[in-house]
Amino acid sequence: MGPQKPINLKPTVMVESLHVGFAGREVLHNLSAEFHRGQLAVILGRSGSGKTTFLRAFNRLNECFPRSETRGSLRLKLQGEWRNIYRDAVPLTELRRRVGMVFQTPHLLPVSIADNLALPVKLVLELSRRDIASRVEWALKEAHLWEEVKDRLDSPAHTLSGGQQQRLCLARLLALEPEILLLDEPTASLDFRASLKVEELLLSLKERYTVIAVSHSLSQARRLADEALIFRDGSVVQRLSREDLQAPDTLQALLEEIF
Amino acid sequence: MIKRITSLAQACSWLAVLATLGMVLLFLGFLGVRGFDTLNLSLFFGNTPPWEAITGRLPVWHGIWPACVGTVALVLLSSLLAIPLGLASGIYLAHYATGFWKKWFCLAVELLAGIPSIVMGLFGFALILFIKKTVAPQANTGLLLSAGCLALLVLPYVILMTQTALEALPDELRLAGLSLGLTPWQNIVHVMLPAAGRGILSGVILAVGRAAEDTAVILLTGVVANSGLPSGILGKYEALPFHIFFLAAEARSDAELAQGFGAALILLMLTAALFLGAYYLKSTFTKTWDPKNLSI
Repeated sequence: MGPQKPINLKPTVMVESLHVGFAGREVLHNLSAEFHRGQLAVILGRSGSGKTTFLRAFNRLNECFPRSETRGSLRLKLQGEWRNIYRDAVPLTELRRRVGMVFQTPHLLPVSIADNLALPVKLVLELSRRDIASRVEWALKEAHLWEEVKDRLDSPAHTLSGGQQQRLCLARLLALEPEILLLDEPTASLDFRASLKVEELLLSLKERYTVIAVSHSLSQARRLADEALIFRDGSVVQRLSREDLQAPDTLQALLEEIF
Repeated sequence: MIKRITSLAQACSWLAVLATLGMVLLFLGFLGVRGFDTLNLSLFFGNTPPWEAITGRLPVWHGIWPACVGTVALVLLSSLLAIPLGLASGIYLAHYATGFWKKWFCLAVELLAGIPSIVMGLFGFALILFIKKTVAPQANTGLLLSAGCLALLVLPYVILMTQTALEALPDELRLAGLSLGLTPWQNIVHVMLPAAGRGILSGVILAVGRAAEDTAVILLTGVVANSGLPSGILGKYEALPFHIFFLAAEARSDAELAQGFGAALILLMLTAALFLGAYYLKSTFTKTWDPKNLSI
């Protein structure tokens, strides 16, 4: 039961025989997958099944943890060019700017709302002051946050509500002009209403990006996913298309598989 | 029963706070009563006209002005040596060192923290003797040697506080910066250091206070009673704690002893001023280092 791809979709991410381990213990085994621009892929699985590690392989964030080891090939189409991020010399700064990540809990910088966006834009893109200001405004609008924060851009970012914080984190990514968005259970720390708002935002963004999201919720996957990958013990055990996800009998099987 | 223990514990903690406060007040009061009368221009400049003394045109006898200048110079010079080195070592220990090297480096810092100041003084003295015998026969004890030894003495405070403050930051803060494409160095300078600023500052304050009050190190490395204003960073100098020590041991009259209390009061005020300076530095530090400065 493979995902039924529309014919016009071309892959932007190709993962082949990916192995990731920490301190000699392998977490991901021989993983292969591909993802497409304009589609939202959801990764489902029990905790400890390697979902987050998989996500962190795309921006080489696993290397920020002690004794990580990655083998295999992970190719991304960035700026129209295929780059094998573990073989070609892709500058980390460039890679992480193009492959943005949102974490389970909002990882804010301890500064104001505006500066949460302005600081990385200034340091990574080296824009001028005026361009930074317009970039910040643009990104906040993209993340459907501008109307809520435009009058208090200088307030500390942690005064925002959980959902707003998570959208601020998304805005911060968008400001850096990413092509691939990695979302690690972006609604895990939010209540239902805030989650819906973030989901709405994700659906509006997915047309222009390649979106790979880890989710803990099957119903969320059914609302969002164009395809779903089911993880177990560091391997993909099942791929489901949007249609598969909606079918009631798959649902039952999935519930047993995951929970 | 539990209620009684709780209220007893509460009473004890209140008592402890009161006792501490009481002792500080008692101490300040004692110094104030004994030293307040001596607080006038002649405490600083003796019989020398103040302006001539400040500009260094006339030497000061029986005044603590040269000692004040000596102490300030000493503290500034040793801070200049210890703070950058301590910050850099703290960053290295918190973010770069791993395994074997981290273990040994931490051990070395702890050892350094445990060295008594008189031993550090002896080290400075032996060092200058060694330099004298080998490369520079004209080398002698002086301000720079004292500042160097003091810097070594206070270095562990800065290193340990920097390391602790950085390591106490949540891992997600580190990942947030890195995941946005900041280089590790940008991440440390623009995100981690400002976030740890408060903790680092307390290390700096401890170091400054320690450098201002230490007597044993400078005793062996260049302080001289009645040597006047320091002639340069290699020259001899006077310092307040040594002056107090000297007066306490060898006062020849009640007036001289009273001057000792005056000097102690001034040293206290000087240290307080240095602390205020450190707080001021912190606010400018957050202005330049805090991303708020990028504001739009």
